[in-house]
Amino acid sequence: MYVYLYDNFLRQKKFDAEIRNVEVRLTDYGIAGKILRLTNYTDAKQIIDDEIKRGAKTVVIVGNDHTFGHVLSRAATCECVFGFLPIGPENTIAEVLGVPVGVSACDVLARRRREKLDIGWMNNRYFVSRLQVKAAAVRVIYDSKFSVAANDLMEVVVCNLQPFYWKRDRDDLEPRVVHPQDGKLEAFLRPLTKKRFWGYKYESPSVFPFEEMEIVGKTPFTLEADGKISKELKVKIKLAHGKIDMVVGRNRKF
Amino acid sequence: MMFQKPSPSIALENEDDVNGAQMGAGGPDEVETVVGPSVNVEGDFASEGNIIVKGSVSGSVHTSRHLSVETGAKIMANVRAGGARIAGEVRGNIKVKEDLELMATARVVGDIEAKVLKIDAGALLFGKVAMPGLSNTDNKSTARSRGNLSKKGDNPILELAE
Repeated sequence: MYVYLYDNFLRQKKFDAEIRNVEVRLTDYGIAGKILRLTNYTDAKQIIDDEIKRGAKTVVIVGNDHTFGHVLSRAATCECVFGFLPIGPENTIAEVLGVPVGVSACDVLARRRREKLDIGWMNNRYFVSRLQVKAAAVRVIYDSKFSVAANDLMEVVVCNLQPFYWKRDRDDLEPRVVHPQDGKLEAFLRPLTKKRFWGYKYESPSVFPFEEMEIVGKTPFTLEADGKISKELKVKIKLAHGKIDMVVGRNRKF
Repeated sequence: MMFQKPSPSIALENEDDVNGAQMGAGGPDEVETVVGPSVNVEGDFASEGNIIVKGSVSGSVHTSRHLSVETGAKIMANVRAGGARIAGEVRGNIKVKEDLELMATARVVGDIEAKVLKIDAGALLFGKVAMPGLSNTDNKSTARSRGNLSKKGDNPILELAE
């Protein structure tokens, strides 16, 4: 049995036609199922656990990167197969998974090509796509063996599924892309150095693949994981291998 | 339970899940590790993949693959690598399994051990150089020569004088 978790933004009228087409295609394939709508205060894990008790085998996330992160940050431990139907803008994870945006994603879902995906674990929750520490005076300790620090401020980005786009400076027209690879998390450290009079300038990033790392700050720093922002003083990040059973496309990037 | 705050017990439960999920069972690493400029690394810096150093490292550096120390980079550590190309400063012993290349801008203070060594004009080196292949043959040849000398006479210096 299939359960579809619709994001709240799909209520907007501009998505009506696309949603209708998707539902028709799913009915054609014979994989239509129960539809549940998510809100900001919905605990995805609770809903999915209830549906699994009622016999759900596949949970399909319908929405964009935020929906994907919102659901899987809590529900990654659920014993079911996950699918993804990307709709609307801000869909970078879908590209990594090899799932096309819109109606054609139903074809991928119907084929049920499954892969086990690695996810990141941060303090007390999972993150699927990306974790970012905004520029702050932090020190990063890798695998309890060596530490990395910058002379001044430093920005830390940990990529799991979402590629990391960065520019050398404001005038850099061509953004550079680093595609995450499977088996390890990649941490990109971008130190900031002071300009002559005011402002900061980004240095070229350092890249460290890792399985466990700790970010420690003297003062609380801002952390964004899968779109959720929080203030932390110490963060422990780990990699959990093969946690999510996911339906992926043939054109996936791993 | 929708609005439940994450409690320590929940966190520990989840942590067990994470640990149970084959933690640390990574495959062969093809990812490059890059130590960028204005970044300082302290401790035992080890990687299975290639390493590019543009900043400073102190402690020790170990990789089974290629190490590249760029111009302006500074390593205050003992280095062990599969292969290396050094254009920066290294203060410590370097042990390389295959090729070691010292570029014109390289400054090395420490002993070197490598199978193949290439030094560009202008590179600065202060320390002993050892090559594993040569030391074995050298030992054999000295042993042989000693054997010959003992057969011919007791004092080689006197023989030469004659």
